[in-house]
Amino acid sequence: MDREALLKALSKPSPYGPDVELSRFNLGPAERERIEEKEVNRISSRLGFGKDLLRKADYLQVNESILSRSMREKLAERGAVVLPTSEALKKLDWVKEYSWRLVRPDTDKYTAAASLYSNELGFFIYVPPGTKIKDPIYTCLFITRRGYAQLLHNIVIVDDGAELNLITGCGVPDQPIGSLHVGISEYYVGRKSKLTYTMIHAWAPDMVVRPRTVVRVGEGGEYVSYYVIYSPVESLQTYPKVYLGENARATLNSIVVGESRGVYDVGSAIVLEGRDSAGEILSRNLGRGSSLIYARSRIEGRAGPSRGHIECLGLIDDDNATIESLPEISSSNPEAILTHEAAIGKISEDLINYLLSKGFSEEEARTAIIKGFLNIEEPKLPQQIREVIKRTIEYIASRATG
Amino acid sequence: MLEVREVDVAVSGRRILTNINMDIKSRELHVVIGPNGSGKTSLLNAIMGLKPYEVIKGSITFEGSNITLEPPYVKAKRGIVVAYQLPPTIKGLTTGRFVEELMKRFKVEGSYAEVLSEILEVKDLFTRYLFDKMSGGEKKRLETFLTLLTKPKIALLDEPDSGVDIESLNKMSEALKVVLNRGTSIVLVTHSPHMLKLLREHITVVHVLYGGTIMYSGLYDEVIPYIEKYGFSGALSQFVRV
Ligand SMILES: Nc1ncnc2c1ncn2[C@@H]1O[C@H](COP(=O)(O)OP(=O)(O)OP(=O)(O)O)[C@@H](O)[C@H]1O
Ligand SMILES: [Mg+2]
Repeated sequence: MDREALLKALSKPSPYGPDVELSRFNLGPAERERIEEKEVNRISSRLGFGKDLLRKADYLQVNESILSRSMREKLAERGAVVLPTSEALKKLDWVKEYSWRLVRPDTDKYTAAASLYSNELGFFIYVPPGTKIKDPIYTCLFITRRGYAQLLHNIVIVDDGAELNLITGCGVPDQPIGSLHVGISEYYVGRKSKLTYTMIHAWAPDMVVRPRTVVRVGEGGEYVSYYVIYSPVESLQTYPKVYLGENARATLNSIVVGESRGVYDVGSAIVLEGRDSAGEILSRNLGRGSSLIYARSRIEGRAGPSRGHIECLGLIDDDNATIESLPEISSSNPEAILTHEAAIGKISEDLINYLLSKGFSEEEARTAIIKGFLNIEEPKLPQQIREVIKRTIEYIASRATG
Repeated sequence: MLEVREVDVAVSGRRILTNINMDIKSRELHVVIGPNGSGKTSLLNAIMGLKPYEVIKGSITFEGSNITLEPPYVKAKRGIVVAYQLPPTIKGLTTGRFVEELMKRFKVEGSYAEVLSEILEVKDLFTRYLFDKMSGGEKKRLETFLTLLTKPKIALLDEPDSGVDIESLNKMSEALKVVLNRGTSIVLVTHSPHMLKLLREHITVVHVLYGGTIMYSGLYDEVIPYIEKYGFSGALSQFVRV
């Protein structure tokens, strides 16, 4: 795409989320900096990833510096690749076939900025055919610099018959930082292969976050995602879209905990392109403080027979919080069966009373109910990932409520 | 142990129970019967201190302390626990997890939990969310189990037997006998003559609640045959005569 068109796209707002002036953030290359391990560990513990991340992460980028890219030998032996995207594009000729193919650079100002200024920083992961990587791969994208625009381009390719569990944590220290995070993610799930993707976000009250994700799942493939955001934010807007081929499956789970005055515009979209494909969107939204949550979801049935289901639940835990649930189903095929259910409410007095009658204090009862509400049963998730999510949910629920 | 003295109960300003008096001692089984809407559930919930039941007159004392206005969880810690007539579904909270939580809170021995869960046959329900998609009988068995699991000094049981098949009724009464023998007192609200027959030997007193007040309290033989014969309103005029 020519530079002229991209520069023009820099002023193109997204149809979703509050429009943000990019001039607020420093897009240019930054001076060299020292990154304290202490700070990295602080972010890591906010995400529930524990200490010693420098040694544990398969890919750790802080601002623009890549601190760790410890390609585990075991993985290398099996032909798997974890590289910064920039390096992958240089070293592996074929990677460009996958770059900016699912996400158009001129989609909006954020994609345009990433395409112009990211220098293709971000992670590239390739899993060769038939290779099943059970131990999760951890990628971490952190920001410690103020007024900074972190622009990323991630590409993941899970080749035919392969499997990958990917956990990505994005975050900042628990303090004002006034930065922008834009992550472009293009994920390819091959024939009969499986990608399980868990993403955890921990931001700050003045952070602007605009991830852009598109996933293509080949014949008989499966994509399971689990997204959790549970920190304050100025505004966060994302609307990942998953295209399903013949007999492919996707389950997109999201847990959004809105806090203080944040705007959380979080969507999930599935396009049923192949016969016998099936998609499910499950979202749980907890409104606290005076946050505003838009819970969008959309399933398009283009091929049939196919199936799609949306379940979107909201719980308002503070009188000043607002949740707007916007489920959409659209079909151009009579054999696509699409359904949705949506409900928003407050914590039921009846449930609280019940737990009181069994010896719970009011506070404990609320915590137990919120924990249950956020607990999306996802049997397809591997055990290790479930543990991470369980810890996260415990953490969310245990914090002062109501 | 538990004394209810001249208690009136209101819901949003409307009085629904008047001048309730009860005196429950250790190991006693008090039965409360009465027609629909007579105030049985309100009575148990008011003793427990659950919203929206408000004690507007009189007092409730337990082991010498005035507990009239104590919040339910404090009463639960003292050993007063109510079993719901219609327990609500709690999605996302598995029964097994909840059982563990109760066992921890109330320091329940594994052997006791084992005995109760065997009798009430609730093991298969542990993987399910609390009361989610359970049959009427399953819900009753589970709610009775969870209540008795807390090793209460007084268990307030609100129709644990309604909609329960004969075989389960036997199990239910067996479970009640086990806890009575351990020293638990029970206030049992029931509509089931069969359940009453099963527990007959253990029944201390039967209270007849009618129109929001206890119209008569007496031994099983003084009360139940008359109610079976004449119905509630008919029996009440008989009681006046005896
Ligand atoms: N939460 C409430 N809000 C308003 N009114 C209530 C409430 N609970 C009970 N009542 C009223 O109080 C009266 C007694 O009701 P209660 O549920 O105690 O009856 P019950 O004897 O348990 O009946 P049943 O045999 O049908 O269970 C009824 O008139 C009922 O409508
Ligand atoms: Mg009742």
